[in-house]
Amino acid sequence: MATTPLLQALQGYLKVTTDRQQIVASNIANVDTPGYHAKDINFQSAMQQVMFNQNDTQLGPATTDVEGLPERPDGNDVNIDRESLVLSQTQLQYQMGVQLIKEEFHRLLTAIKDGN
Amino acid sequence: MGVFDMLSISASALSAERQRAEITSANLANAETTHTDQGGPFQRKEVVFGATNSSPFRTVMNRLGRFGHAAGGSVQVTQIVNDTSPPVMRYEPGSPDADKSGFVAYPAINPVSEMVDLMGAVRAYQMNASAVSAAKQMIQQSIDILKSS
Repeated sequence: MATTPLLQALQGYLKVTTDRQQIVASNIANVDTPGYHAKDINFQSAMQQVMFNQNDTQLGPATTDVEGLPERPDGNDVNIDRESLVLSQTQLQYQMGVQLIKEEFHRLLTAIKDGN
Repeated sequence: MGVFDMLSISASALSAERQRAEITSANLANAETTHTDQGGPFQRKEVVFGATNSSPFRTVMNRLGRFGHAAGGSVQVTQIVNDTSPPVMRYEPGSPDADKSGFVAYPAINPVSEMVDLMGAVRAYQMNASAVSAAKQMIQQSIDILKSS
């Protein structure tokens, strides 16, 4: 759908970042839910899925439980420090994607206007 | 999945944590209540959180609009349970609620543990509020793409 390959890649990038941000939001929401395990997506495989299997994106990315987090007595292993870190990280990644898209549109506009 | 689902997930947590804070405040307020409509001392209450089903199957069905609108991975108060631990008996023969031997049943509420629970609820609320701000900022940024540079 996108006009240039870069725009197409950035579209996928924004989608993966949004998905990851949503998973972080639900981890934070369930910080006190007994038995809840923190989830995350594999950025690389999610990006590949979005870029190369466009028909599969209906399913969304596969989430996996995060390994190696200490479990509290109630069976919950959400680490709020990790989640706030990933929250700011994805927020900045999203911002970067948006800036790049704006820049690409600007470049297109420059080409259309013949450099003026 | 989308940016707006993020808002509804965080909103579910905000309302769940607020309910938890309310229940905890009620426990604190009634720490010395010896007389209730049901008879007997006030019974300590506690909220139980549960994650809404976020299985891949349910996620796809949600997207197709077959089930309700709750986004996968949100949280809800599944039940509010009464603490059944026995009341604390204090010898106060002058009290109107005293039994034959002069003891009054007080609710078994520890103000310290209630305060800790309240602080936990407030911290979790703050954390979810920052998640809401993050989502809002992301939405704002995608709107900014439309603005001509």
